[in-house]
Amino acid sequence: MCISIGVFNMTDFMSRLLRQPHGVVGLILLVVLAIEVILGPALAPYDPETFHYSSRLVGPTPEFLLGTDQFGRDILSRLLWGARTTVLLSLFATLIGAGIGGAIGILSGYLGGRIDEVIMRLVDALMAIPSLLFALLIITVLGPSGTNAVVAIGIAFSPGMARIARSVTLSVRTSDYVAAAVARGESPLWIMSREIAPNMLAPVIIEATIRVAFAIMLLATLSFLGLGSQPPAPEWGLMISEARAFMFRNAWTIVWPGLSIAMVAITFNLLGDALRDALNPKND
Amino acid sequence: MSLQYIFKRLLYLIITALVVSALVFGITQILPANAATMLLGEYATADALVALEQKLGLDQPAYVQYWRWISGLLQGDLGTSLRSGLPVADTVFQALGRSLLLAAFALIAVVIIAIPLGVIAAVRRGKAADFGVSMISYIGISLPEFVLATLLLVWLTAPDIALFPASGYVPITENFTKGLWHIALPVITLAIVLTAHVMRMVRSEMADALHADYVLAARLRGLSTTTVLIRHALRNSMLPTITVLALDVGYLIGGIIVVEEIFAFPGIGRLLIVSIQERDLPMIQAGALVMAFTYALSNLLADLAYVYLDRRIQYD
Amino acid sequence: MSQDSKTIDRRSVLGGMATLSVTGLTLPLWAKSSFAASKGGTLRVSVNRAPGRLNPLLQRLNSEYVLGELLYSGLTRLGKGMEVVPDLAESWTSNGDLTEWTFKLRSNAKFHNGNPVTAKDVVVCLTAILDKKTGSPGRRNLGPISGVSAGPGNTVIVKTSTGYGDLPSALAYTTAKIAPAEIVTGDFDRLSREAIGTGPFKLVSYEPDRLIVVEKNPDYFISEYPYLDRIEVMVFPDSSAEMAALVAGEVDLALEIPPADFKRISGASGVTGQRTPSGRFIDVVMANDRKPFNDHRVREALSLTLDRQAMIDFVAEGYGTPGNDSPINSAYRYYADAKQKTPDIKRAKALLAEAGYPNGIDLTMVASVKPGYRQTLAVTIREMAKAAGFNIKVETMAHATYLKQVWKKGDFYVGFYNMQPTEDALFKLLLTSDAAWNETRWNNKEFDGLVNAARTTTDTAKRQQLYGDAQKLMQKELPVLVPVFFDLLSANQNYVENYNLHPRGATFSLEKVSLGVGAPKR
Repeated sequence: MCISIGVFNMTDFMSRLLRQPHGVVGLILLVVLAIEVILGPALAPYDPETFHYSSRLVGPTPEFLLGTDQFGRDILSRLLWGARTTVLLSLFATLIGAGIGGAIGILSGYLGGRIDEVIMRLVDALMAIPSLLFALLIITVLGPSGTNAVVAIGIAFSPGMARIARSVTLSVRTSDYVAAAVARGESPLWIMSREIAPNMLAPVIIEATIRVAFAIMLLATLSFLGLGSQPPAPEWGLMISEARAFMFRNAWTIVWPGLSIAMVAITFNLLGDALRDALNPKND
Repeated sequence: MSLQYIFKRLLYLIITALVVSALVFGITQILPANAATMLLGEYATADALVALEQKLGLDQPAYVQYWRWISGLLQGDLGTSLRSGLPVADTVFQALGRSLLLAAFALIAVVIIAIPLGVIAAVRRGKAADFGVSMISYIGISLPEFVLATLLLVWLTAPDIALFPASGYVPITENFTKGLWHIALPVITLAIVLTAHVMRMVRSEMADALHADYVLAARLRGLSTTTVLIRHALRNSMLPTITVLALDVGYLIGGIIVVEEIFAFPGIGRLLIVSIQERDLPMIQAGALVMAFTYALSNLLADLAYVYLDRRIQYD
Repeated sequence: MSQDSKTIDRRSVLGGMATLSVTGLTLPLWAKSSFAASKGGTLRVSVNRAPGRLNPLLQRLNSEYVLGELLYSGLTRLGKGMEVVPDLAESWTSNGDLTEWTFKLRSNAKFHNGNPVTAKDVVVCLTAILDKKTGSPGRRNLGPISGVSAGPGNTVIVKTSTGYGDLPSALAYTTAKIAPAEIVTGDFDRLSREAIGTGPFKLVSYEPDRLIVVEKNPDYFISEYPYLDRIEVMVFPDSSAEMAALVAGEVDLALEIPPADFKRISGASGVTGQRTPSGRFIDVVMANDRKPFNDHRVREALSLTLDRQAMIDFVAEGYGTPGNDSPINSAYRYYADAKQKTPDIKRAKALLAEAGYPNGIDLTMVASVKPGYRQTLAVTIREMAKAAGFNIKVETMAHATYLKQVWKKGDFYVGFYNMQPTEDALFKLLLTSDAAWNETRWNNKEFDGLVNAARTTTDTAKRQQLYGDAQKLMQKELPVLVPVFFDLLSANQNYVENYNLHPRGATFSLEKVSLGVGAPKR
């Protein structure tokens, strides 16, 4: 499934995107999410870490719109503060994956031959380790923290990205403009970064958008397992993990962060699908 | 497909296994603290640590340890657990068996539910049924297993409802109904997430297939809708579905790690997490290898099935 | 709460045993139950961590101690009120200066393989525990033992380097179990797969991550016990699953209940909760020899920010007692009562300014993830101490990493310890200059002197005085902050009889448990 388009026309692209219902819904959700990320802390009614001694584990009330957790901290405020951590960290993780994977893929595809064979065997082997397990091992080495979880997810994503980058590289390597650049005597680095890399924009963006959804879930899962963000951070996965001991006393402590994670993942899944359809020339 | 192709793929499988084992071994070597630290816990003194490391062979250079492990592996010996002193192979394969049972039930549920729903959605494209299926699958792929599992725990095992046991494991061979009862929640969790994935794929592939020339041709020849659906469209959309299923085995393995942890299911995923925490190297090695091998093997099988279903594809 | 009435009152038990003297005492066998317990049946016990080690000399988790106690015996045991009771040793005496002890072994004790227990088995096992090559967690916990030898007439002679009145208590240590000499010396690793002990039960099967089954040992040396035919130890690494299984009646006895669940579980129909105050505590460890904690005023300022009553709610869900910056509480024999400390943020601020931090101080506090209380305490302290100018960053860490990198080395971290059998065991473990885990590096000569003096006397009043002074010294000097003691919590089905939750947390006495009316037939 390889999609390659040369030039990127923003207006055309947006109109294609908006022609699809899931594109519209995805964009709306994205705007909501962006507001949450940018203004979240300003909108939060309380400090996310302040204990309310006398209101522990209460359900939704006018005072605490979504209820409170085991320390009497306001869940809404924690969600609003946590949006930044959760979403930005996932974006970073995906960027790292796309960066490392893209570089390896171009290099492997461009050099070809034995080197390509060896690199791709390694990539295959790495892909044979489930992402979660891979991330788990890396974090065990680096120590549990949000930053390390991002690095681990980025590394775990890179083999998949490398595959895509390589296949694009292979398809354009023989094209006229690359041949022309070689004939001009341009350096391989220049060719890889200026001639080949731009072709990858579309497929990598599509893949990355869907990957962001996956990164959010993976990051939350790692935090849930105690390997990502650490208390008292208001990270959503961690919130669920911490609230588990209290789930029968106030189920909202699980439900709200769970819904938040799902909403963000849905946003990026919808966008990813819409992007794929919009950028796929078959759908004209 | 030629024997040569199969042979080549098997060779790759072995290379993959070797790379994974070397990689995992490398990672375990740089883990902070080792099995001796964990075994002695807060009772560790410097001299006790040294003595225990010697006893466990952890004081030897990494390559010696790796070589010892690999040569053991070639003789079919996966070593002894540093934590419990029990043979690794027994523990790992017992745990794997349980996990496979979980996976098998989840996959059966997926095939029964996801494929028909995907077909319906494709046939009724743009109608309410399609919309419903799409909605469900978006929610399904966007809910991490741990959220779903925790919510199921809250709702279905709550003290006043107690629809299912929250966890534990009873071997099916010991008590069939009880065994099923105990694996119900982990299977439901896995099945929901997987169904969402597979349903999406079947829907989109089926939709493509329904517009393909040969389906239109078959329709023109006056064949009934059902015949066209089953004989032509479904068969062709099965190809990519199988690939997705195989890829989802990787996803399933990740899911199994989480689900086993939450439902306290004594399978390979939980074994691995415990082993990592306890720095039980031979167990981590064997667990990771078994998982990677399962995944690679399922990919290989998917490829072979692909070739079998579609003779037009030639493999070099 | 109705459950509270079922709680054992520890103070009255302690009061009753304060008259017992330690030396040369043969206690009567366990007091007879007031009713005839029914025999037979299978008990399902749940534990919350996989017991990774079957070898009794190497165990270190509560879930492993359960197995150790079911399958093996030691020389002595701890009774309900922390008093020493006979196990394999039926009686003991010591010389006048408490440096040589003679333990007389039972004549009817047999290993599961049929061989009788001899003095040689005891000598070999104790020697193995003390040998650093064995890697036994109990090595530093048995007291200042200088030699173990077989004496005349089935006796074992234990010599100590200084007078040590607490030796019989120390030998009740969880890993001081006796296995056949020829296996310990010849094929030690066999004990990680098989159990050849003298305990009330024999091992049937061992799947450490799921289920361990034991059955009645008909040759147990106390013929009355065990009552049960079979015990199945079920392993739940996840407490919510464990709790659900208990409520559903799949588990008869859960040895530990998370504080957050206790109210709900003990209110469930057919289930009884047990609660006992204990010396299990959580503490804030500070490096007394390094900046900034070498300044007494910084430690005191932090101590003054702690709202201990609120902390009990956050950390222990109300199931605990406030700490007073000494690790000895009313569960111990020589506890000295003192006025409960309360927060004083103003004074804390002033002290901090005096110590040279008028604009507050930045600190990083490490908390291991196991058990979860450590993180909760760290987050709570961070929040409480904010007002006085402490800016504490909480750093959580995998337990393995914590043990390797922070524990006993770090400057500022959360500690968590089980109750110890005696004051001496605790002080010599954590706080004296020669303590096995001298993590605070307080190194206070006056304190050392008090603890050492108490070792060499059996005069109760004198010991009360010495240990009382030691506690006062700690509360003044603040080498560690002890904000909360935990109650131990367990729960069982109503038909489970004679299970008494032990304050030490590592002793279970399941051989005395029986099943009453309403128990399911399994």
